[in-house]
Amino acid sequence: MALNSKKRKQNDHEELPPSFDEAVNMEMLSDEEGGVDIESDNGDLDDFPELDPDSDENDDEEYESEDEEEEESDSEQLHIFPKVKTVVSDITGQEKRVYPEIEPDYDSDSSTEDTPNRVGDIPMHWYDDLPHVGYDMDGKRILKPARGDELDRFLETVEDPTSWTSAFDKTAQADKPLTAEELDLIRRLYANEVPDAEYDPYEPTTEWFTGKGKKEVMPLSAAPEPKRRWVPSKWEHKKVMKIVRAIRQGRILPNKTKVTSTPQFYSIWGESSSSHAPPLPAPKPPLPTNSESYNPPEEYLPTEEEKKQWEETDPEDRERDYLPEKYSALRLVPGYGRFIKDRFNRQLDLYMAPRVQRVKLNIDPNSLIPKLPSPNSLKPFPTYKSLQVPHASMARCISVSPDGAWVVSGDETGVIALWEVNVGKAVKKWKFNGKIGTVEWCPRADVSYFVVGTEDMLHFIIPPNLPPTVLQLSQSILAPSTLPPVPETPSPVKWSTPSSTVWTDDTAILTIQLPSSSGLPVQIAWHRRGDYLASVSTGGSQGAVWIHQISRRHSQAPFKKVRGKVQLVLFHPIKPCFFVAASFFLTQQYVRMYNLSEQKLLKTLQPGIKWISSMDVHPSGDHLIVGGYDRKLCWFDLELSDKPYKVLRYHTRAIRSLQFHPTYPLFASSSDDGAIQIFHSRIYNDLMTDPLIVPLKILRGHEVTKGLGVLQVKWCSRHPWLVSGGADGAVNVWCS
Amino acid sequence: MASGSTVGLSCSVVFTTHTQYPLPSQKFMIPTSWKRFHLSQLINKALSLTKPIPFDFLVKGDLLRTSLGDWCAENDFSEEETLEIEYIESIMPPQKMSDIPHEDWVSSVSCKLAGYFLTASYDGYIRGFDYSQKLTFSALAHAAPITSLCVIPTHGHEDELSYTIATSSHDLTAQITRLSLSSESEPKSETQTLAKLHLHTAPVSSIAADPSGNHLLTSSWDTLIGLWDTTVPLTDEVPEAPINDREKKKRRKLNGGTNDSAEKAKRKAPTMVLKSHTARVSRVVFGNSGSENTAYSCGFDSTVRVWDVESGVCTHTITSSEKPFLDIALNADGHTALAASTDRTVTLYDVRQGSFSTSGTTSSGSLLHAAMPSCLATGSTPHQVFSGAYDGVVRLWDLRSLKSAVTSFKAWEGRKKVLSIDWMRGMVGVGGEGGLEVWKAIEDLHS
Repeated sequence: MALNSKKRKQNDHEELPPSFDEAVNMEMLSDEEGGVDIESDNGDLDDFPELDPDSDENDDEEYESEDEEEEESDSEQLHIFPKVKTVVSDITGQEKRVYPEIEPDYDSDSSTEDTPNRVGDIPMHWYDDLPHVGYDMDGKRILKPARGDELDRFLETVEDPTSWTSAFDKTAQADKPLTAEELDLIRRLYANEVPDAEYDPYEPTTEWFTGKGKKEVMPLSAAPEPKRRWVPSKWEHKKVMKIVRAIRQGRILPNKTKVTSTPQFYSIWGESSSSHAPPLPAPKPPLPTNSESYNPPEEYLPTEEEKKQWEETDPEDRERDYLPEKYSALRLVPGYGRFIKDRFNRQLDLYMAPRVQRVKLNIDPNSLIPKLPSPNSLKPFPTYKSLQVPHASMARCISVSPDGAWVVSGDETGVIALWEVNVGKAVKKWKFNGKIGTVEWCPRADVSYFVVGTEDMLHFIIPPNLPPTVLQLSQSILAPSTLPPVPETPSPVKWSTPSSTVWTDDTAILTIQLPSSSGLPVQIAWHRRGDYLASVSTGGSQGAVWIHQISRRHSQAPFKKVRGKVQLVLFHPIKPCFFVAASFFLTQQYVRMYNLSEQKLLKTLQPGIKWISSMDVHPSGDHLIVGGYDRKLCWFDLELSDKPYKVLRYHTRAIRSLQFHPTYPLFASSSDDGAIQIFHSRIYNDLMTDPLIVPLKILRGHEVTKGLGVLQVKWCSRHPWLVSGGADGAVNVWCS
Repeated sequence: MASGSTVGLSCSVVFTTHTQYPLPSQKFMIPTSWKRFHLSQLINKALSLTKPIPFDFLVKGDLLRTSLGDWCAENDFSEEETLEIEYIESIMPPQKMSDIPHEDWVSSVSCKLAGYFLTASYDGYIRGFDYSQKLTFSALAHAAPITSLCVIPTHGHEDELSYTIATSSHDLTAQITRLSLSSESEPKSETQTLAKLHLHTAPVSSIAADPSGNHLLTSSWDTLIGLWDTTVPLTDEVPEAPINDREKKKRRKLNGGTNDSAEKAKRKAPTMVLKSHTARVSRVVFGNSGSENTAYSCGFDSTVRVWDVESGVCTHTITSSEKPFLDIALNADGHTALAASTDRTVTLYDVRQGSFSTSGTTSSGSLLHAAMPSCLATGSTPHQVFSGAYDGVVRLWDLRSLKSAVTSFKAWEGRKKVLSIDWMRGMVGVGGEGGLEVWKAIEDLHS
């Protein structure tokens, strides 16, 4: 439509009177040229595919003639438009330019131009097989123009100079040479120029209302100015007065600093807060698997039983919430019925599941285990039960002779058995009244006897089959022919020796009668020289602990007043020190270390154990282990601290007994869980190196009876062999 | 490899033997599914023996217990290679002959006297039983447990029924006792203590007599080994220990049973004391006949020592680590010493004179036991050894196949310790916690 209007404009121009035309000649020329230009342009655009051969020829001729005429003036610019003809007017007798006539009808538009072929805009290949290419206006067939073969065409290209500027016209099914306008258009498009040759992008502006003499000075309307233009506004005044009043009353504070309050709504994810990590992205839903395919492999398809089972199980118990189904084609897949449900579940998952970034320490738990040497490299240690010596009842106390060859074991029926470590045959037995509380060999090497503690009594027994020298020395120590002088103050402890006529192997050669009601001696601790022994009894007020001196046949109570209850005592293996484990009122437990020669307290150790059951000091004298009924074992480094260097809790029941091996770097602990645990405990001379404690072996073989397990363990002095007495009445020997 | 699937397979085998039934050396193609029984039949067929003899087969020092194919699979032996199989006469499983309960534990057994079993017991008695399990004599030899007993061989002795036996005891002495067994002329057996051997200051752990019967060796817990001759001195060689008043009564009581004055045992001193051990000597034995001047001892100091008895010098020491030895035995050819230790092994040591310089003191193998092996008995064949252990099981080992025992039998019900075994004339006497048991085992070829 715009084009049409333009055309009309041109036509208007054309109809302008010639005088005016002449007056503005120059301008009009350009104008007119533009107008024609537009028109031809128009035609160019639309008509490219279907060209009129006649007009084309005309154009060509014109074009050529033009070329000839205006070669020097404007060789580049092609005037392809209907050329102005200068003719001498027969009216004025002057030259005038005559334009070709334009028919102002619809046909002037080239798009509606007549083409002989009226088939319309159809794919022309429909007529490929037919002899004609279409129909004309009258319905007559238009026959296909003769088309030569390839050779002809080639010859054509060679002979016809216009053949390279011709294009195939589909409707006519023939080659048509391009018009000059079309060629120019192609050239301009190639050169990236404005395709319209007449368009001047830099034409001067036309000033309509500016510039001298063109200003509009006269008003457009004669109406007087309204009042409101110059009277101040009453409503504005009211509004201002309202604000003024508010300021006066203080309701509005001028120059008040604006409080920047946080907006009510803000984007919580807009900026990352400094304290928290940015929210984690939601976890992705799992990718579909093979069985979720619309056409899964056969092996994914459920059998009838599986289907039935799937249907019978509750939805929350199902392994997967769909049944694989097979469709031969994707278009046969029905609509997904669970879409909403799935989406909802997914939302629930995201909403309900807290997404927390866990700081996961990537530590190999094995690396936290301390590097300990392999038990195999720490051999020898006891590994198996070599023999078992039965007792009638609980074998509560055992003792191994200093040379490691003999064992005495006592049970609750009052029987003491003496047997070889290796054979386990009781060579001799003694019978006492009442329970045997404790039994202990004298550590001296040149004598051989042991002490048995029964109710209120300590019995000294010489084993049979001794070499004469040892026997005589033992006898002379325990039953000297001349008794030492009786101390002035009568002691509550009585020492008695049967006369030589009464004494046999079967009875004690020396008996110490502790004060009455002092109860069963539960522990006897020998001093390393074998002259002193300390006994701890269950009962008695302060008389629980006694220290007996064999050579002077004298007993003394080391503590005048004992707070609490003494449970264990121990002589230091090297120094003149004495350990006492005692308890106050079930709560406070301590181990005190006294210097015997200076008679003063050296230190108090706090094991933090509820109830101390056993205690042993390392042969080096610098380390102490304390075991408790609350399953704990405390290792004290006496040089280091009053607090345990290490607290081990490995038994499942109360620890009953502990002992360091006198020569091997071993210690053993026994417990009410029926197990004995063997530890390697190497102590370095270098004070900087911590003791090495390696668990080696758990020896099981005692049965737990009446809640009691292994009551005492003792080492053989020269071999890594362990003797253990259990509540099941068995005394076991464990060999390496 | 299942034996069923390898029916068609076969492997080539060459048989060798040291028995008196040699086969011509040739290759046999034998199905891998064959077991001992089939192979034994094959040998019997090939030799065309009139009386079938069962054989056992040693494949590379391993007694064949499964089929050949299984053995090959276990030992990664390719079946294309030629397998060399040694066959030995099969050992019949031992059979219990008699069970003689004792009042106390039997610490030592001797089957050396033909027709009798001698036992020494922890109650201090020596007992003798004939083959009909009848107690022929019992005599209180020591006041303390007897640890060991040996029969002193007599050569050309005039009295057939009179023997000398030596015992060692916990009472720090050993003694030589004359034993006159009952006969038609003398219905009552008599024992007479000839001499008491005084040296040790600790229990005497073992006593051994050399094959000629002229020397005795005692070992004790006091690390000493005493060498004694068997002649009975006319007077006491060791003075009586001073007896204080406490001892007198006891001594009187002890000797009250025997009429002392005339036949009081002479106190005998050792001819030589062998000192080298650092801990208890648990066992000393003489070398076999032909090397009587050599003695072997083992002890708790984890050493096996070889002694030259004539000079009393320890000629060699085999030291191992943490193996307190309990018993030592020499096999019949005297080349190998077996020592039982508390770590549940019996270790083999090559004790040939030449081997010390070459092989050093390394063991040539060990027999693993389930419990502490306490005693060993070697027979007349160099390959077979009986060992008794604290679990009451007596095992027979073939030294060519150390992996497991050839056969074993359990003495007594329950877990009763075996303390001593002796193997003579196809009989194994087992003494221990349950008394004495006699089992019939391999026939002793030499006797």
